[in-house]
Amino acid sequence: MLTVVLTLAIIAAVFGLVLGYSAIRFKVEGDPIVDQIDSILPQTQCGQCTYAGCRPYAEAIANGEADINQCPPGGETTIIALADLLGVEAKPLNAEHGVEKPSKTVVRIDENVCIGCTLCIQACPVDAILGAAKRMHTVIESECTGCDLCIPPCPVDCIHVIEVEATLNTWKWQAPEVEHAAPRPSR
Amino acid sequence: MSVVETINVEVAYALPDRQLILEVNVDAGTTVAGAIVQSGIMMEFPELDLEHSDVGIFGKQSKMETVLADGDRVEIYRPLIADPKEVRRKRAAEGKAMKKGGGILADAG
Repeated sequence: MLTVVLTLAIIAAVFGLVLGYSAIRFKVEGDPIVDQIDSILPQTQCGQCTYAGCRPYAEAIANGEADINQCPPGGETTIIALADLLGVEAKPLNAEHGVEKPSKTVVRIDENVCIGCTLCIQACPVDAILGAAKRMHTVIESECTGCDLCIPPCPVDCIHVIEVEATLNTWKWQAPEVEHAAPRPSR
Repeated sequence: MSVVETINVEVAYALPDRQLILEVNVDAGTTVAGAIVQSGIMMEFPELDLEHSDVGIFGKQSKMETVLADGDRVEIYRPLIADPKEVRRKRAAEGKAMKKGGGILADAG
């Protein structure tokens, strides 16, 4: 009788120690699901999802406050990846938040018009504009996410959207253009 | 022998068609000028004339002697081409508003 009690007690103690140790040793900092969601999001920090940036949106999705279809820059690809990760049904993009752009864009500043007002620099969420007061402002294309947040503040309308030529890293299948399909030749 | 602490900064210069941000690890206490020299950005843009260029950190002009902090982005600026007063006058003549938000918001409001 005593042996049985003792054996069980020792087994319980050993398991307890192992569990306690693992809890400390393999402790996960932060919320891994937020990191995973954040890594799927396009990091444009454009705020079209109504959250301040991609990370806050990721947190909102993780908490169940936001839906997965609020990210226009990510578009269908992002929604499908999020649905996969979270085990929910993919759904079409919520048009309230905007529409997916057909190709990646960046902005460019018309140097002949820029007055160096810094308003676009303050608006840029990713520090992609180099410039200072009364000095030329220049968009650093490799940093620009195409969020277009700098365009409305410009007092002289000198910021223009340009399409980025597709490289092997950015190219994607073009969706078939059903609406604009050529009419059938009449016989 | 004392170990000198280092900081990571960036040095950036931008032309309309070519922009460059160089990461550089420098000793703590390095100035704007020091980081620019150490980054080697002068080699990438040989036409760069530091003597007559204004510099700054993250959109704010500073002196060449300003001491950097970790994570700073040193920026080398170019002068404006347009005369701000001239642009304002021209837009006013064309009947476009100049307040924050430019034509689009002004037209809507």
